[in-house]
Amino acid sequence: MLRVRGLTVAFGGPPVLENIDLDVKAGQFTSLIGPSGSGKTSILRAVTALLSPQTGTVDLDVPANDVGFLFQDDALLPWRTARQNVALGLRIRGIAPGPAAEKADRWLSLLGLDGFGDRYPRQLSGGQRKRVAIAQVLVLEPRLLLMDEPFASLDAIVRMRITEELLGWVEREHLTVLLVTHDLEEAISASDVVYVLSQGPSATIRARHEVNIARPRHVLGTRRDPMFAPLLERLWEDLS
Amino acid sequence: MKISSVAARRAAALILLIALWESASRLGWLDPFYMPAPSSVARVMMQLFAGGELWTHLGATFAAAFTGLAAGLVLGVGLGFAAALSPVLAELLEPVMVLLNAIPRVILAPLFVIWLGIGLASKVALALVLVSVLMFFAVYNGIREVDQRLVERIRTLGGGRRFLVREVYVPSVTAWVMGNLKVAVGFAFTGAVVGEFVASSRGLGYLLQFAQSTYNAGLTIALIVVIMAFVLLLFALSERLERRLLRWRQT
Repeated sequence: MLRVRGLTVAFGGPPVLENIDLDVKAGQFTSLIGPSGSGKTSILRAVTALLSPQTGTVDLDVPANDVGFLFQDDALLPWRTARQNVALGLRIRGIAPGPAAEKADRWLSLLGLDGFGDRYPRQLSGGQRKRVAIAQVLVLEPRLLLMDEPFASLDAIVRMRITEELLGWVEREHLTVLLVTHDLEEAISASDVVYVLSQGPSATIRARHEVNIARPRHVLGTRRDPMFAPLLERLWEDLS
Repeated sequence: MKISSVAARRAAALILLIALWESASRLGWLDPFYMPAPSSVARVMMQLFAGGELWTHLGATFAAAFTGLAAGLVLGVGLGFAAALSPVLAELLEPVMVLLNAIPRVILAPLFVIWLGIGLASKVALALVLVSVLMFFAVYNGIREVDQRLVERIRTLGGGRRFLVREVYVPSVTAWVMGNLKVAVGFAFTGAVVGEFVASSRGLGYLLQFAQSTYNAGLTIALIVVIMAFVLLLFALSERLERRLLRWRQT
């Protein structure tokens, strides 16, 4: 689905990322973990052409329109309602306002935001805004979903709930995902493959691990799997 | 509750001040030639409205202020947009606008009178210059300081220039323009009244000039109060418009 080869990113100084190789296979959940400031986000930004790398290539098997990007912050358009924010991508794809709004409403309701369609982002809580941001991306039915620490800003309870829901959705739909996170447990719980990025500058891929825990998974159940603790330890070693 | 009690205290303070002024006048502490009592100012004001002549002058000032405001908005917003989208134009426009912003723009009034005569046009021109420089910077800076995260959202959702303008730039700029609308209304009236003050045969500025040249303090104060009242009314209207257009700001 996605192949990154020899990716090097620099912003004027020493490279932030150096010679990154990364594969995301179709139907798999891949995570990329690394310390804060190691340039994890830059990899996703290079994949979505928001930044152009010094060297290296990014190959996508799907058109750019089939890639969804869930950002770390939930910067919705403040002057558009929740419904309009969710419908935005559909409108960009040329879908008429009526059907786009209907589909947006279906997704809002799927994410537990029934009746919130007319609210503006300022009138929603942090968790609700995050759900709108998720709906905004999923409504386009992306074949590859990129997520940049999407739940970092949420409190623990909301975070757990939304993670669980999103994981369920990804498993049912066999979505291909690349998740960037610094939360090791979250990475193991969700992933088929975990990449470990070294501390920057000049961060590079230090290790790749497969997570052979049966699906469907649940955030809490996964932690009791015999695979979980040893893998967590390995990841810790890779990072230190 | 809280806001209304603040308003009540302010109103009480104002009434107290006027009462003190009135008593000071009646006790003979204030010379009516320089500082006539509120009651005689009120009388002058009533005569102004009753005479009917005031409406012609009000109409002239409003016509100049509104024409200048509308034209200044269009010109300022247009130039601001153009400069933000075209670096070459920005290079040329920015120093001119910075200069126009730095000088007291009312010094252009005599020039406009020489160019455009003592009629409406010279007042409109002055109001237009005052408003358009303000709006130019509101829009120009507004576009340059647009939230880049929103720009990236539109791009990752597949949107091009059209959607960027419609979904991000126009709403951002609207917010900036509306935030400056009250100042612009004030500027438009400054331009109109100062223009009339310099040379005219009609308008509130003309009346003020007349009151000053005849040393009529009562008429001067009455006119100042009339102008303030109308500007306050327009402030209230623009605030309503602002709240309507920016209702997404309410939490």
